[in-house]
Amino acid sequence: MVDVSQHELVPDHTVLDSDELEDVLAEYDIKKTDLPKIKRTDPALPDEAEVGDVIKVERDSRTTDRAVVYRLVIE
Amino acid sequence: MSGHAPKSIGSLSFGLMDPEEYRDMSATKVITADTYDDDGFPIDMGLMDPRLGVIDPGLECKTCGKHSGSCNGHFGHIELAAPVIHVGFSKLIRRLLRGTCRECSRLTLDENERQEFRDRLDRTRELGDDLNDVTKAAIRQARKKDYCPHCGAVQYDINHEKPTTYYEVKQVLSSEYPQRIAAAMEPDEEDDEPVSPHDLADETGIDAGRIQEILSGEFRPREEDRQAIEKALDVDLTEEDMDKLMPSDIRDWFEDIPDEDLEVLGIDPEKSRPEWMILTVLPVPPVTARPSITLDNGQRSEDDLTHKLVDIIRINQRFMENREAGAPQLIIEDLWELLQYHVTTFMDNEISGTPPARHRSGRPLKTLSQRLKGKEGRFRGSLSGKRVNFSARTVISPDPTLSLNEVGVPDRVAKEMTQTMNVTERNLEEARRYVRNGPEGHPGANYVRRPDNRRLKVTEKNCEELAEKVKPGWEVSRHLVDGDIVIFNRQPSLHRMSIMAHEVVVMPYKTFRLNTVVCPPYNADFDGDEMNMHALQNEEARAEARVLMRVQEQMLSPRFGENIIGAIQDHISATYLLTHTNPTFNETQALDLLRATSVDELPEPDGHEDDGTEYWTGRSIFSELLPDGLDLEFTSSADDTVVIEDGQHVEGTIDEDAVGAFGGEIVDTIAKQYDRTRARIFINEVGTLAIRTIMHFGFSIGIDDESIPPEAQEQVDEAIENAYARVEELIETYERGELESLPGRTVDETLEMKIMQTLGKARDSAGDIAEDHFDDDNPAVIMADSGARGSMLNLTQMAGAVGQQAVRGERINRGYENRTLSHYRQNDLSADAHGFVEHSYREGLEPKEFFFHAMGGREGLVDTAVRTSKSGYLQRRLINALSELETQYDGTVRDTSDTIVQFEFGEDGTSPVEVSSSMDEDAVDVEDITERILDEEFADETEKQQFLGTEKRPTNLSEHADDWWLAEGDD
Repeated sequence: MVDVSQHELVPDHTVLDSDELEDVLAEYDIKKTDLPKIKRTDPALPDEAEVGDVIKVERDSRTTDRAVVYRLVIE
Repeated sequence: MSGHAPKSIGSLSFGLMDPEEYRDMSATKVITADTYDDDGFPIDMGLMDPRLGVIDPGLECKTCGKHSGSCNGHFGHIELAAPVIHVGFSKLIRRLLRGTCRECSRLTLDENERQEFRDRLDRTRELGDDLNDVTKAAIRQARKKDYCPHCGAVQYDINHEKPTTYYEVKQVLSSEYPQRIAAAMEPDEEDDEPVSPHDLADETGIDAGRIQEILSGEFRPREEDRQAIEKALDVDLTEEDMDKLMPSDIRDWFEDIPDEDLEVLGIDPEKSRPEWMILTVLPVPPVTARPSITLDNGQRSEDDLTHKLVDIIRINQRFMENREAGAPQLIIEDLWELLQYHVTTFMDNEISGTPPARHRSGRPLKTLSQRLKGKEGRFRGSLSGKRVNFSARTVISPDPTLSLNEVGVPDRVAKEMTQTMNVTERNLEEARRYVRNGPEGHPGANYVRRPDNRRLKVTEKNCEELAEKVKPGWEVSRHLVDGDIVIFNRQPSLHRMSIMAHEVVVMPYKTFRLNTVVCPPYNADFDGDEMNMHALQNEEARAEARVLMRVQEQMLSPRFGENIIGAIQDHISATYLLTHTNPTFNETQALDLLRATSVDELPEPDGHEDDGTEYWTGRSIFSELLPDGLDLEFTSSADDTVVIEDGQHVEGTIDEDAVGAFGGEIVDTIAKQYDRTRARIFINEVGTLAIRTIMHFGFSIGIDDESIPPEAQEQVDEAIENAYARVEELIETYERGELESLPGRTVDETLEMKIMQTLGKARDSAGDIAEDHFDDDNPAVIMADSGARGSMLNLTQMAGAVGQQAVRGERINRGYENRTLSHYRQNDLSADAHGFVEHSYREGLEPKEFFFHAMGGREGLVDTAVRTSKSGYLQRRLINALSELETQYDGTVRDTSDTIVQFEFGEDGTSPVEVSSSMDEDAVDVEDITERILDEEFADETEKQQFLGTEKRPTNLSEHADDWWLAEGDD
């Protein structure tokens, strides 16, 4: 099986811990459910991600070098 | 304006309406199917009852006392003789019937299942997903139950016959039960003994006499006996029976559904009880919603809704009369069905499976749903799209003397469209002058409004008199004058540059005039295009339009971040002529080229002719338009390097890549490094200089410009001959079966590909030969080279050979059996039999060639027609999906429910029109920006260094620090 998370086009996906999550929610003044979603079955997710976790995606960007995006794992 | 502050809507909730509420809000019960009596007065408790509102001017509403116009109308109601189903809810009714128990009306799910669905419902609500998915799943689960988990009653399947009939599917004893039993008692195989009635009686425990009676059909077996016989003989004695559920049965059923069961299905019982989906009362819309119109001959013509209501009331009355008279059940059911039909079509007259209710003329009636649906419906036709005042539309034509920010407005349009002037002491004289000119004289006025809000029309007769009366505090609706700002638009409005603000220049004649450089953003040409103009009606709108929407502010396209406005067509040919060979001009010529621009002084001459007269080069004349301090280097489309140093054009050709619309380097750089105003001036001046230039040189094209000398023609013919020979060779190889197929292709496909390749090369070499014989000053070559219009391919086709015609990407392969035309042998694979055009456009095409050319041309036309309609619909859907997204003040992009779509607009928070358009530069050069701001901010280097430096100035408390002060002061 190919592990897509190692592919150069797949950005880093990491699970946020609760402190980081609180910071993110406070920064944008939102509830967890207002975040964009990602399916639990998405092959780019780390194995330990569970439904309800929030994933931090860091991708490369031509204009800002690094773009950070958060996603809520759903079933 | 009455000064009410705008309020925001807290929430909206949708639900079903309680029939009691219908009765409460009803102004009157409607019982008479007629509208007006013989004298023309509305009948009391009829469909036009005066209590339902007024439509005739002058009358007073009997309910609210207001007059027509201010009275919105009032609902009435019809008491239906029997309940009927509301078609809009037929699917939900079916779901509830399938999910609830036929005996106790409870949802047939046990407590665990209920909890599960309640949880799922909460979760989906939180995520903002579609609740229907959950409720559908709940119903699917409940439908699986054969017995009610609460009362144990058997559940039957519900069959829905569209649109409004429901059946219970039951298993009942077949009418052929004796024959089926007898058949089952016969032996399976020849030698077996048949089952005797005695054996059957023993096995089932039924009395033998009773078995005989059952077999003879005299006695219908009871439920348990039937099951026993079925078991003993392994036979099915039942058949399906459809038991119709009347609306009244369904209403009774739904009334018993407990509130907590509804919550599991996502229904709020406070707002929507399911039995309200079965109508017992029908609201009658107010007359204002269905006004009758008086025809020329004095006859009244009623609205479609009124016609439908008449039908409903008639059937309703007949139903009641028949029921009171004790009519047979069959008649009652027929009437009930008829009532159901009329109520159904009253709400929706386009239901599949039901014939639409028709007008006497045969036209289907436009009922409630048809009023709302579709392009002309209430939503898309009346609410999203409305017709507006203060707008004008006419044909457009070009005017190169206008600035790109301007629009020429015909005087007759300017006299019709007005701007409101608030008269003060300072503009009193001006206002009076407008009024004095009247509605016919040009900067005149059409209306004045007195402080008491009376609006007076300015006429030729009263204008002098009225002008004297105008005082501060009045409002004058004056004509459009030069400098007013208006909005200009061309459909289809596909991007934001399709609607831009222009400054008015009032002109004679009937067309809107615009500078040709604004054609690309509007995608306009002058072959009969029309455009719309809107006059703005308040100061805020005018200010916003000026700041945000003016053409110069829209110069950079957010699609690709470069300029969309720039030189086009002959402007580009002209700048090419001016700079490519860098010709020289004497003083008169140079001044003539620049005379329409703002340059009124020539620079130092570039040199002297032998006789001592001064001359200027084309490049230095072009440099006059460039801003000082511009440094630039890039490759032009004429393939040389353009160098601009400190606003002086030193080297290279100015062509499409330099000044063209769609990303001309110089325009783009000026717009970004200087500002939009400088870029506007530059484009305007390039336009005027270009037109002077092309008039100086003269530029025309004719058939002779594409002709090639006879020796070249011979070379072309030879090249095509050679290609024909090679194609013949290929065909022979193929016929001998020696052609090797390419990987992944059949031999036939390989042959086709190779032939196409060979013929393609033939056309290209014909083109190359032709090109070699064209001079560099050939107008077609100039246009192709500079990027003004046309390409080398066009030139090839005009002078060399038109080449292979194709339909669906293949050589032409259609027509007759095994051949394209009857002029060829069957299965002829040669080039000319499949649409190769060996002549050029200049030579003219042979009849057969012409025919093949038309085939290819037709495909092109069909493709564009299909593409535009397809992409139009795709764009509509995209826009509808994205229209509610908005960038918030914190930089995030969110939809209306505040769900985040992007954490930073475009993931970088930059505007595509403000960032650098070059691929190898940084999009945002922070250091450069810091440098520029610091240079602006501080007068000299020392101040700047003091600000940047970490060392603080010492506090000058003692004279011992004077050394430091003197060193800093630099004196």
